[in-house]
Amino acid sequence: MSFDFALIGDSIPKILMGIGLTFQLLVLSAVLGLALAIVLLLMRISGRWYLAAPTMVYIYIFRGTPILVQIFIIYYGLPQLEFVRDSIFWPILREAFGCAILALTLNTGAYVSEILRGGVLGVDRGLKEAGAALGLSATHRFIYITSPIAIRLALPAYSNDVISLMKSTALASTITLLDMMGIARTIVAETYAPYEIFISVMVIYLIITWIIQRSFGWMEKRMSRHVRSEA
Amino acid sequence: MDALTGWWDDFFWGSLVVVQVFVIALIMTVLFGLIGAAAKLSKSRAAKSIANGYTIVFRGTPEILVLLLFYFGSAVTLTAIAQVFDPEIKFVDLPPFWAGSLAIALIVGSYATETFRGAFLGVDPGQIEAARALGVSNLQTFIFVRIPAMWRLALPPFGNHMLSLIKDTALIAIIGLEETLFVAEQAIGYTAKPFTMYILVGVIYLGFSTIITLSVMVLEKYANRHLEIAR
Repeated sequence: MSFDFALIGDSIPKILMGIGLTFQLLVLSAVLGLALAIVLLLMRISGRWYLAAPTMVYIYIFRGTPILVQIFIIYYGLPQLEFVRDSIFWPILREAFGCAILALTLNTGAYVSEILRGGVLGVDRGLKEAGAALGLSATHRFIYITSPIAIRLALPAYSNDVISLMKSTALASTITLLDMMGIARTIVAETYAPYEIFISVMVIYLIITWIIQRSFGWMEKRMSRHVRSEA
Repeated sequence: MDALTGWWDDFFWGSLVVVQVFVIALIMTVLFGLIGAAAKLSKSRAAKSIANGYTIVFRGTPEILVLLLFYFGSAVTLTAIAQVFDPEIKFVDLPPFWAGSLAIALIVGSYATETFRGAFLGVDPGQIEAARALGVSNLQTFIFVRIPAMWRLALPPFGNHMLSLIKDTALIAIIGLEETLFVAEQAIGYTAKPFTMYILVGVIYLGFSTIITLSVMVLEKYANRHLEIAR
């Protein structure tokens, strides 16, 4: 047994061919997931039980089951149902890519909506009351007072969720997609050199994690620049 | 539902495997978490940097990657060692049960490291000083003062770690552990009912998640019983 550096050199360009797909999965499902999370959040804090109750059930289900099982239900499971095959969504659900995006979006949406809710609940009541005293409507209060503060409060937790979403994209390799993980698994199956390949891809994922962390750190700093003491 | 006839017992044994992995991995997670936290809080620079490396690597890479690296990596290493003694041997692997439990325990343990570290730092120094003033030994202070005060703080985030742990057990099906997801795949081979089978797996995991969530609620109530207002 030896550590084959030439193999690493050969494999890294191949693995990097999958980075585009990894980013597509990450960005698309992060954007769609955020949109879903905002809708879920508004339903949850609407104060109407017929809107809040379904949201709570949704969040409970999607946070209580493994993402791998969700991916398998959507990719392998849904085609069993005839009305899915007849529906207009079939061209999307037929493709592994569409299924992966759908599963990742539904999953991250549930987590992010809880994170946003935490941010909204953390906003000082006095500020909202001040807004009301100034005659702002409930909608205006939410847009101009609650949201900016809630976003700032939720940002650190949100950055963690983006990282776990990035890690979840690797599961797309289980439904035949050739993202970085999928390519790495293919190479390992051919060469049987798990250490060389998997550690290389690990390093690439660590770099992506680091970039995400740094970007959010910068954003956090920028958004709280008005509270930083003059140094 | 008819498709499930004859498969209930297989799913039961699969669920039992999930429980076994969960219990074993939970013990290891607590161990890794405590060791990691102790290293991060120690004065030794080497211990600190090892612990930092550990949390960066295991929190920043996809779970499936760690799992595959452990399983195939250990197989390559063990096969190489076995061939030194007997060149006839073609393949030796760590059983998926142990490779999987170890991998998910190391992953969740890296999160637990941060939780425990924060919780130890959150213990009121006055309590430790008081113990010292009473002449209580360091070890006794650790067991009777720091641990009880710390676990109250660590419990809510640790509940989330337990949920991650139970959900991560599903991943071990990828390397061939006969847990519920693996049973579902076999059942699908016979019945061609993927939706039904995977939904059942989802329901089983949702049940486990619910049990954990409720247990943590009870434990939290027990841990903070001295803070309840007397009636």
